[in-house]
Amino acid sequence: MTGAEGFISKPKGFLPRREIMVAIIVLALLIFLLMNRGMPLVLTILIQIAIFAIITMSLNFEVGYTGIPQFGRVLAVIAGAFAVGAIPGRLLAMFMGLPWGASYANNAVNYKLVPQLNEVLAGSWLLSVGFLLLCLLMAAACGAGIGWLMSRPAIRLKEAYLGISMLAFGDFAMWVGHNWEPLVGGSTGVYVPDPFRVVYGARFQVVVITIFVFALLIYLFINKLVKSPFGRSLKMVRDNDVSAAAAGKDIVKIRTQSLVVGAALAAVGGGLWVIYTGTVTAFGFSRLVFTFWPWAFMMLGGIGSNTGVVLGVSLLQILRTMITTYRFQLFGFLIAWKIDPIHLDHMLLGVVIVVVVLFLPHGLVPENVEPVLPANRVRRVITDGLEPSKPAVNRPLS
Amino acid sequence: MAPWLASGFIYASALALTAGGITLLYMSTRTFNFAHASMATCGFYVVYTGCALYGGAPYRYLPLAFLFGALLGVICYFGLNRHLLRRGAAEITLMMSTLGYDLILLSVIQMYCDYLTFGLRLYPRRVSMSVYDFELFGTKAASIILPLIAIVFITALHLFLVKTKFGVAMRATIENPVLAGASGINSDRVYMTSWIIGGGMASLGGAAMAMAMTGTPVMGMTTIPFMFAGAILGGLHSLYGGILGGFVVGMAEYAGVFALSKQFGPWVLGYRMGIPLLLMVFIMLVFPRGLAGIPWAALFGRLTGKKRGVSA
Repeated sequence: MTGAEGFISKPKGFLPRREIMVAIIVLALLIFLLMNRGMPLVLTILIQIAIFAIITMSLNFEVGYTGIPQFGRVLAVIAGAFAVGAIPGRLLAMFMGLPWGASYANNAVNYKLVPQLNEVLAGSWLLSVGFLLLCLLMAAACGAGIGWLMSRPAIRLKEAYLGISMLAFGDFAMWVGHNWEPLVGGSTGVYVPDPFRVVYGARFQVVVITIFVFALLIYLFINKLVKSPFGRSLKMVRDNDVSAAAAGKDIVKIRTQSLVVGAALAAVGGGLWVIYTGTVTAFGFSRLVFTFWPWAFMMLGGIGSNTGVVLGVSLLQILRTMITTYRFQLFGFLIAWKIDPIHLDHMLLGVVIVVVVLFLPHGLVPENVEPVLPANRVRRVITDGLEPSKPAVNRPLS
Repeated sequence: MAPWLASGFIYASALALTAGGITLLYMSTRTFNFAHASMATCGFYVVYTGCALYGGAPYRYLPLAFLFGALLGVICYFGLNRHLLRRGAAEITLMMSTLGYDLILLSVIQMYCDYLTFGLRLYPRRVSMSVYDFELFGTKAASIILPLIAIVFITALHLFLVKTKFGVAMRATIENPVLAGASGINSDRVYMTSWIIGGGMASLGGAAMAMAMTGTPVMGMTTIPFMFAGAILGGLHSLYGGILGGFVVGMAEYAGVFALSKQFGPWVLGYRMGIPLLLMVFIMLVFPRGLAGIPWAALFGRLTGKKRGVSA
């Protein structure tokens, strides 16, 4: 009986406390920054947290729940960003009778053209909201498409091969964007029409709220999805693909679905980032920022724990911002050596990864291990044993 | 020699060294080493610092670069890799741990560049190492000396692995760690040695690579996909396969870009990364075990009439 109690109650009593502790630390740091530096900095941090939370949650969906070594997250982010940079603006320009072909992305045309589009968008609420939704739809569609394409050659490979080939694909996409001017303007980039022009004055706050709403929706969506039968088969493939195949699961199909969903979500993150910044420049989407940072966030938060990942993003983003904000107070000794402390940013991420790998293998908030059966049924099975009058094997699996 | 061929030789031998290092580390410790990127950059900056401060040909500082890379490898082994190997960590965890180490090294390199820029008044962020080079037989000396160095190094490594007792012990540990441990081989020392050789090869490769391209603090970071491509092309199961794979990737990139840009114009240069990528995808689809997985022995055995598997 004590065994049953320990088996069922241990994860429940243990986990929420850590989540709350980390959340309190995050809030305290945010309040400290708010009192010291004021609202604009905190809003910037919040936007970055929300965007990277979306990207990292999608990464966690693939790595933590399906067990795919996704080292090419930047590819899906690029798909979303380029889709938003290239397609919706062109459609709008086409309907207005402005140049929308290859010359749309030309720098000399683009910087005159996009303000005209902005004028139109600023005039109409309906058009702005529709444009925003169109952007995100395009991003998600392109992300899903590229996720599917990427999964074709790569899905049957072993761990390391798969990770490395996805990493190489991500780099290649960046170079294509950098060199092929008609897509997103090559090295000069393109401007993105701004659907938030409608709200004069309060644009920044509205952007923060919108992005936060999307992050929250994606958080709830992944939480729901993971608890569904589909999510359980994902975890089954992750834990033991041979037994999953033996139970009749099509592993290649499940992995492909996971890659497509994850890529679509990451693409939405990339699209939102581009809408917020207002420009798309291919070189801004480096492997370091959009693959390796999310990996660090995810490892700190806890691989396979959706809540933990969000907390990991928040904590690490705040710490990074604090390093850049307080670099002159904290690292004066480096300045005496003529060294810019901004390089400590990479150091922080590297140290976090190393420390997590060595001392915190399950992250700040470990994955919540849930029994497949409801707790009271597990307890009954353990305490009473299987009664001979009730054959327990009649129900088919899943 | 044509300029593209000369640069191609330098670049390909650099990739051969780095891809060989990655393959060696993967074979012995199951670690796919991301830190190869910054180890290569470190090797380049050792040579650059020597040339800029003390003068002379860059080749004088190559042993120093090798030693520095070996030191970095040993630090990685004792600080990180050893604990994870003892814990029996998954391949992905090992990979991520080296990524953390790589970011730390990258940060240190950036700070060192700041120090060189503002403290010593050098320009370390865009370096063309070929200005320190000299002419030999009418071409860049590097295009002759560096491949030679690579060949000598690989031959020495081969002799070490085949002829010495410790080399045989090393191969035994790679083939079957449990059995090797049971027969009294200290696997700890074997892993340390492979980190020494692997790190040294990374630094040596980075120092060589800087002779063919512009040296920047993120040089390793931008070229690491090619190193991985070379290692994967080689199949990750044979050291010589990795070396050959790196060389093939390097040569294919330079030769392919040269041929295509002659055909279609200079815009091809921007997509040069696609050539090794396509090569890698093609090899993975057709020969999933890489170049070393192709049964060369059987092919040649059929030609020469020898039986397969006697010497291998």
